[in-house]
Amino acid sequence: MLLIPIGILVIAAVVGLAKAKISLKIVSTLSAIASAVMIYIGIVGFETTLELKYNLFNSSSLFVTLNWLVFRVDSLSAFFLLLLGILSLCASVYGIKYMEKYLGKEDTRIYTFNYPIFLLTMYLVLICWNLLWFIIFWELMSLFSQFLVAFEQSEEKAIKAAFKYFCMTKAGAEFLVLAVVLIILKATSFNADYSEIANILPAYLSAHPGMLYALTFALLIGFGVKAAMIPFHSWLPDAHPEAPSNVSALLSGIMIKLPIYMLLRFFISFFPLEPEIGLIIAVFGVLTLFFSMMYALLQEDSKRLLAFSSIDNIGYILLPMGAGIYFLANGNQLLGSVALAAALFHTMNHAFFKGLLFLTAGSVMYETGTRDLNYLGSLAKKMPLTAFAALIGSLAIAGMPPLNGFVSKWMIYISTLSSPATSLFGIIAIFISAVTLGAFVKYFTAIFTKPAVKEIDAKEVPLLMSAPQLLLALLCIVFGIYPFIPLKMISQALGSIGVPLASLVVYPSLVVPKTGSYSPIIVFAFLLVSTLIALLLIPSRGSVMSTWKTGRSEDLNVSMPADAYYRDFKEAFNEVYLLGDVSKGFVQKVAKIGKRFGTKFEVLSYDLNSMLSLAMILIVILVVLLGGVGL
Amino acid sequence: MSTIFIAINLAFALLIAPVIDSFERKIRARLQNRQGPSILQTWWDLIKLFKRPTVEPQDSVKSLYKLAPYVTFTAVLTAYLIVPTLLPSSINFIGDFIVVVYLLGLATLSFVIGAFSSGNSYAQIGSNREVSLFMSEELLLAFIVGTIAVIGKSLSFDQLFPLPLRVSSALALILLFLVIYVASARLPFDIAEAEPEIIEGPLIEYSGKHLGLLEYSIFLKRLLLYSLLLNFIIPVQNPTRLIGYLIGIVVLSVIYSTFEAYYGRFRIDQAVKLMKKLSAVALVVWIIAVVGW
Repeated sequence: MLLIPIGILVIAAVVGLAKAKISLKIVSTLSAIASAVMIYIGIVGFETTLELKYNLFNSSSLFVTLNWLVFRVDSLSAFFLLLLGILSLCASVYGIKYMEKYLGKEDTRIYTFNYPIFLLTMYLVLICWNLLWFIIFWELMSLFSQFLVAFEQSEEKAIKAAFKYFCMTKAGAEFLVLAVVLIILKATSFNADYSEIANILPAYLSAHPGMLYALTFALLIGFGVKAAMIPFHSWLPDAHPEAPSNVSALLSGIMIKLPIYMLLRFFISFFPLEPEIGLIIAVFGVLTLFFSMMYALLQEDSKRLLAFSSIDNIGYILLPMGAGIYFLANGNQLLGSVALAAALFHTMNHAFFKGLLFLTAGSVMYETGTRDLNYLGSLAKKMPLTAFAALIGSLAIAGMPPLNGFVSKWMIYISTLSSPATSLFGIIAIFISAVTLGAFVKYFTAIFTKPAVKEIDAKEVPLLMSAPQLLLALLCIVFGIYPFIPLKMISQALGSIGVPLASLVVYPSLVVPKTGSYSPIIVFAFLLVSTLIALLLIPSRGSVMSTWKTGRSEDLNVSMPADAYYRDFKEAFNEVYLLGDVSKGFVQKVAKIGKRFGTKFEVLSYDLNSMLSLAMILIVILVVLLGGVGL
Repeated sequence: MSTIFIAINLAFALLIAPVIDSFERKIRARLQNRQGPSILQTWWDLIKLFKRPTVEPQDSVKSLYKLAPYVTFTAVLTAYLIVPTLLPSSINFIGDFIVVVYLLGLATLSFVIGAFSSGNSYAQIGSNREVSLFMSEELLLAFIVGTIAVIGKSLSFDQLFPLPLRVSSALALILLFLVIYVASARLPFDIAEAEPEIIEGPLIEYSGKHLGLLEYSIFLKRLLLYSLLLNFIIPVQNPTRLIGYLIGIVVLSVIYSTFEAYYGRFRIDQAVKLMKKLSAVALVVWIIAVVGW
């Protein structure tokens, strides 16, 4: 069964090579079917462990590690597979109509070929059970997603963003390769199977702390770049807005979560639990969420705002993950498991609401052709369904009860706030949550309610585009009111990497003993019932009158463009932006120096002898590094 | 039994919140050498508003504009399930400190969204200020929540009421006292609604029943915050809790309305900067709490 999505997606990619108009529809439909199968595999994966093994190179000593291609779905992969399936189903269905806009303007084969391959590589990353094969699929994933970012060939910005994205993730992947080679050579004697590594590595690394920290360093950079952890985030705000909106939804919704998946595998099941490592991850998480959200507040481009907020949410995932490792290492099972569950719950939530928000931004682009928040306005009357979906997404991402965003944020605060070591992280997270609210009030009102600069011609998007949005909005609501279904899956997923989730659910509430409690059902029921009673007792009936314009007959020339939002707040917190600008200048300087070296290197490379000697030196350094780190 | 307690608490809040407002109006009037209205005046005002029809502006997004006041009202009301007022409550599985903070956030958010949907430019300016103030106020509040959580090693109210007698708890409660003043939209900080400059801001288009509901929810929010502060101080088990609570409400009203009577309005940038400075103080208080004083 694991092979079915692979087969369908390969067929889709082959069909996608044809230039005919119909191939767009066929590819999208096939991808949607493959996604549905992934959802099914995800559900089955929670009940039984699925496994497939292939012996590729018979008795070849050279490829001994690559010899076995093992696919395996345990509960953790099943959880991420479910997210991938749901999100790619929505994105594929959405793409049928959305991509038609590009017909005739761009070469749609770039999309129809790369899109299924991109889905396929993400699927393979999630199901493979061998570190070396993982690296191969991981690199392919970066490669094909890069082509999708560069889809609009006529836009120079898109090409540049894709190139930047590729360079940065490639550099990050080198660190991963280094880490994987180290693990395979030094620790596990040419064994790359996940189960074997989980058996051997923790004991080995406990005995070799130098190696542990070297590996942690390499993995944090390698996965940090892909997850857009600050300070390795700068590719994301450029790359995600340039891709077609349904691809942005996938990039933000699920692709940047795959590093989270691997980090969980590495730091929980492959590595011994160290409190210091947990704190380092949590500190990076806090830096990530703080700076990215403060910058999201400044954005005037709808998809760029969403991209910055994606980085912010990676922070909200890294923070409880680090805190969870810290608590587990210190023997606090209760808070540790709650924090890790919060990380997984937020991963799910972010996949849903950010996917949803990118789709709404795409719908607005589809109708109006622009992402400029200054120009857009008053679309709520013209696009009521999209406006409703965007409102739900904005409320959920701001963490408003009783939607799903609140459940994960609540778990984050409950696990971090009351312990002195992590309390400050939780405090900053609460503040940034309020800033998120501000940023998404801006996103929603600037597009849908503020008076437009001039009349915009738009209508509601076709059903094939609004249905995926409404499905995701529904998931945000349902999992907010009834979080017990995802929590059950999460406790299984955590169980499969050896973290038992303490009984958090006390029906009808979520209760962390002596620390906190939240009952989504009661809160929702009370909100609903009392609103209905209020509507009955004080019915809102009235007449329509013209908007009050201080008594003048013509329009007031007072308007608030998107760049005027929260100006005083930005001025008061100017230090944050100054710090950000200084570090940006520093990074640019480093990049410039790198470029100069690159040019010199290119000139040098024409000379064969010097190239060879350089390669020799590099090999020597590599050997010294590989041999030396373990000492 | 506890459900009845909660029902009594809710009824108490619904009845008394407007009375407290008229009481504060009376105090302000006396301080300014005026006679002042009767103790039931705010109730008469509200009843008058509830009798009036409502008006919908032409440029508004009708559904959001109409629904927002109701959601604002019920979000504040829901918080009363968690924070006990007149009678101590033994139900603690509905929510904790975080849930209360976020329910108040929901009230602010729906208020702002409703104002933005009215299509009036003044409402936009006002809501924009409201959100700016909310964000900076939340920074201070986050530090207070964190400090209290560190002191009580919990976020659940049954562990936090009352706070243990420590230097840090006293300092944290003083800061909470200040943030309550800011959050209850009173004179130096009613920047969003400033009548003389932006004509009631977010409230500009609201009339009749909608306006009544929004004002009612402000009164409810004030009483909720008073109760929150008092619960941190008054011992739960004590039979004199009820008397202490009522006296506490009166004392807080007097102090707050005295402040209000003597101050002029801040500019929004002054208010945001003040919040930032207070947050720095709160950071120090948090450190004191972590150290264990």
